[in-house]
Amino acid sequence: MKRLIAVASALAFSVLLIGCETVQPWQKGNLAKPDMAFGPDPLQTRFEEHTYFSKEGASGGMNVGGGGCGCN
Amino acid sequence: MPTPAKTGSILAAALALPGVVPSAQAQVTVPNATLIQFKYLYYKDYQENNGVTPGSSGDRMTVKSPALYLLAPISDSWVFEIGAVYDNITGASPYYHTVLSGASGEGVEDKRLAGDITVTKYFGRTAVSVRGAYSTEDDYRSIAGGFTLRHATPDQNTTFTIGIGYSSDDVFPQDGPVFTRTKNTLDGIAGITQVLSRNDVGQVNLYYANQSGYLTDPYKAIYGVDQRPDSRDQFALLVRWNHYFQSLNATLRSSYRYYHDDWEVDANTFTAEWGQELPEGFTLTPSARYTTQSAAFFYYDPVYDATLGAPFPPGYATNPNAFYTSDQRLSAFGGITLGVKLAKVFAEGWSVDGKAEYYEQRGDWRIGGDGSPGLQAFKAQLYQVGVNKKF
Repeated sequence: MKRLIAVASALAFSVLLIGCETVQPWQKGNLAKPDMAFGPDPLQTRFEEHTYFSKEGASGGMNVGGGGCGCN
Repeated sequence: MPTPAKTGSILAAALALPGVVPSAQAQVTVPNATLIQFKYLYYKDYQENNGVTPGSSGDRMTVKSPALYLLAPISDSWVFEIGAVYDNITGASPYYHTVLSGASGEGVEDKRLAGDITVTKYFGRTAVSVRGAYSTEDDYRSIAGGFTLRHATPDQNTTFTIGIGYSSDDVFPQDGPVFTRTKNTLDGIAGITQVLSRNDVGQVNLYYANQSGYLTDPYKAIYGVDQRPDSRDQFALLVRWNHYFQSLNATLRSSYRYYHDDWEVDANTFTAEWGQELPEGFTLTPSARYTTQSAAFFYYDPVYDATLGAPFPPGYATNPNAFYTSDQRLSAFGGITLGVKLAKVFAEGWSVDGKAEYYEQRGDWRIGGDGSPGLQAFKAQLYQVGVNKKF
């Protein structure tokens, strides 16, 4: 049931996304700032994901094929 | 003559983490700069005492990790990424619950070397990435690979991502009975990244993984009681949203993840980072993270069998083949991380950064149910320093 709710909210969010304003290339100055990236510091993202992966029950959501380790 | 926006977007793309999930502003474009990153992580975790003797040291693991990352566009349509990390791991790990192996004077020592390579080929607004990863330790080896496809709409405001990955791991403990067992993980992701306004970008990812094989912790199985199912289905929904505050010259990066698996671990995780631009090329980024999770259905509290005593769960003698774990990571808890990062950009593509974080897990901090009782709080400190060069 919870899974169903999660999938439904993802779909609802997606529809919301598609219905938003069109931003022109010359309006993307702020969007192009390094800090506007999801995970602007690759190695920091890796270290932190690896830490939580090895210390918590939950993981995943950002990428695939990451590989395992004995830490988990 | 490129417009400032265009120059900036190339810069952002170069700094982002491509080949995995589309990064900034929902675009699929070839980065035109090479990035080399070096980072060093010092990590240590600890609890109040060893779980046996009051006043004793509760130090757990210490990890020292130098890491390298290279992003190199080698033509107008091919991009290579290489990552490497070395972990030097020492300390003590719990035998069961929060009773440390250090209690008997025996410590843990391990070294891990891991590397990965991602090759991305761009076909206009479509990018195909193939990734391979290898990781080796004294008692564990992992070989993994992945395939990711990204496609942007003509206005470059929407990017669709799908990916599939596989990992084949071997576990061969260096303590107790000698054996090698395998563990395989198949995972997949589907996501949308969307420009929402000239100051907002959002992302939704659906993630699924199936783990199968030997999922038990071999050391906890020797010194404690650890018997886990041989399969695990994991599901995650990740929503991320970045907003730029023009008047404050600051970026808010936020995320929420819902996680569920068939071990009955349900987790909700929230993160927020505030990137404040300052004069002289400095950026100050305070960050916070909160997570709350339920326990796996086979986790047992630190209440032991009346006859057998610790570490055996009540009724173990009559049901020795059932699923059990005393692993704190599969208990019910809430976790808080607070961090602060300072970065500075210099001339000619150089930049440096440093970050300090404090992380703590407590049963009492769980929201949405009771936390697991009887465990010591788990605490960790993380320190990272990095040097980056773009050219």
